[in-house]
Amino acid sequence: MAAIEAQNLTKRYGTLTAVDRVDLSVEEGEIFGFLGPNGAGKSTMINMLLDFARPTDGQVEVFGMDCQRQSVAVRERMGVLPEGYEVYGPLTGRQHIQFAMESKRADGDPMDILDRVGIADAADRPAGDYSKGMAQRLVLGMALVGEPDLLLLDEPTTGLDPNGAKAMREILTAENERGATIFFSSHILEQVEAICDRVGILSDGEVVAVDTIQGLRSAAKSGTKLLIAVDDLDAVDLDTIEAVDGVDSAWIDDDRLAVNCTSAAKIDVLVALNDGGADVLDFTVEEPSLEDLFVEYTGGRS
Amino acid sequence: MVWQAIARKELRGLLKPRRRRAGLALVALVFVLGGYLLPLNVSSPETADLAPYMTGAVTLVLPLLGLLLGYKTIVSERESGRLLLLLSLPHSRLEAVFGKFLGRGGVLALVVASGIVLASALVAYPFGSLQPGVMAAYVLVTLLYGLAFVSIGMGISTLTSSSQRATAGTFGVFFVFVVLWSELKVPFRIALDYLGLASDGLPNWALFVYGLEPGMCYQRIVQAFFAGSDQGSYLGADAPFYLGEWVALIVLVCWVIVPVTAGYRRFEVTDL
Repeated sequence: MAAIEAQNLTKRYGTLTAVDRVDLSVEEGEIFGFLGPNGAGKSTMINMLLDFARPTDGQVEVFGMDCQRQSVAVRERMGVLPEGYEVYGPLTGRQHIQFAMESKRADGDPMDILDRVGIADAADRPAGDYSKGMAQRLVLGMALVGEPDLLLLDEPTTGLDPNGAKAMREILTAENERGATIFFSSHILEQVEAICDRVGILSDGEVVAVDTIQGLRSAAKSGTKLLIAVDDLDAVDLDTIEAVDGVDSAWIDDDRLAVNCTSAAKIDVLVALNDGGADVLDFTVEEPSLEDLFVEYTGGRS
Repeated sequence: MVWQAIARKELRGLLKPRRRRAGLALVALVFVLGGYLLPLNVSSPETADLAPYMTGAVTLVLPLLGLLLGYKTIVSERESGRLLLLLSLPHSRLEAVFGKFLGRGGVLALVVASGIVLASALVAYPFGSLQPGVMAAYVLVTLLYGLAFVSIGMGISTLTSSSQRATAGTFGVFFVFVVLWSELKVPFRIALDYLGLASDGLPNWALFVYGLEPGMCYQRIVQAFFAGSDQGSYLGADAPFYLGEWVALIVLVCWVIVPVTAGYRRFEVTDL
């Protein structure tokens, strides 16, 4: 059974289509990154999973349960870090975790959770005095209560410093190893690259790509740039190289051979060079950054 | 159901700020003050005497407290995003509204009950007497009256997504029900007279409509049950049953249930 299964999911606000006929399947046990520029519809999508917003058309299920009709049952199996929340000012961090435990009917010591997210020393201070990063850790802690089967996080590293972002990644990885499926949205690419099994790219309410990061790379047109040092540049026939499947262009760049090609064609280029009688001394690969891919998929809007 | 968790959290959060506790204590003190003053005016007072003696103060203070407890409940949580946090947990919107209503009602109950119990003690000591059953009934009826305004406040709070509109609506309700209502009887009669529906005095159906306001209901209930009155156009012997105290009690219960329910039904189908 899929952890998340969306079919033809659509949300319109008046004439604006925030989410446009999205079909998406997230497998149990995977870490799925949901990428897109601001305003692409990521939050609307997540809001429909939580029943904060109702689909105009289509449907979405979590573990086979309808997110609208069985919303409470769905949220019983979820841990959620929403976007744009505010904590309960007068209540302490410990009381927040206690409340989440009562809501989810989970046992345990709130301090264990606070310790895990790194704010144990602030447990008895009112959460209204917390910094943005501490509040984010606190709500992550609330999401972790009761060992949820699915962690749903909307822009989880908002307000976190680099150390906090790293701690967040470690917690998510640990949760994933425990068996939880993780679905999070982000517009920050490095985070996605660091931990995701698969990535979905959302642009203008439509899912334009779903693949592994590796898969996205090899599918991208901008491709890889190879810089190859050979013993004798005269022995290189540029036309032969360009004839290799997957190669876009080849040219001499300073003292080296430069080749634009797909990621998959790298080895073929080296083999072709070898067959042509040139000895490869050294080579470097410039993979396109995820940012390049992202811009390519979303048409430069970000 | 986990609405208890929400109600508990509401209670904790509501009673935490010192200024709020001071305000709530002040309302309880109004009752205590009544309990102190009553024996100065009446010799050997009974618990039941407290109710009519307090009506004027109660019909001013409790609507204010009830509305203040209710009107920001949902709308401010919605604006700030605390509602997202609450509904990220496995709560239905019904539980959220119901749990909050109970939490806020609990605060009101605490204030009303402690105020009336202390006041009754002052009435009973040293020259008066205490009737525990009467006291319990008085607490209950007064609580219903206060809850009606918590419900109206929460109804407004769930209907709108803007704090400003909720504030304006709440102020409007307070003004119309508490300040203006008693002045409306004459214009109401003149208007009906003009339409040819009333000659001298209001007809019974118009009295019924005019008497639907929670404060009017509460006054009738107190007059009939605690002051033992059977005079006037509502409680007199020749008045029809639907102007009587039992119907007033039912109307008051409706005021507790209907506004918050109506608000909830609207809230249930909107996007957050």
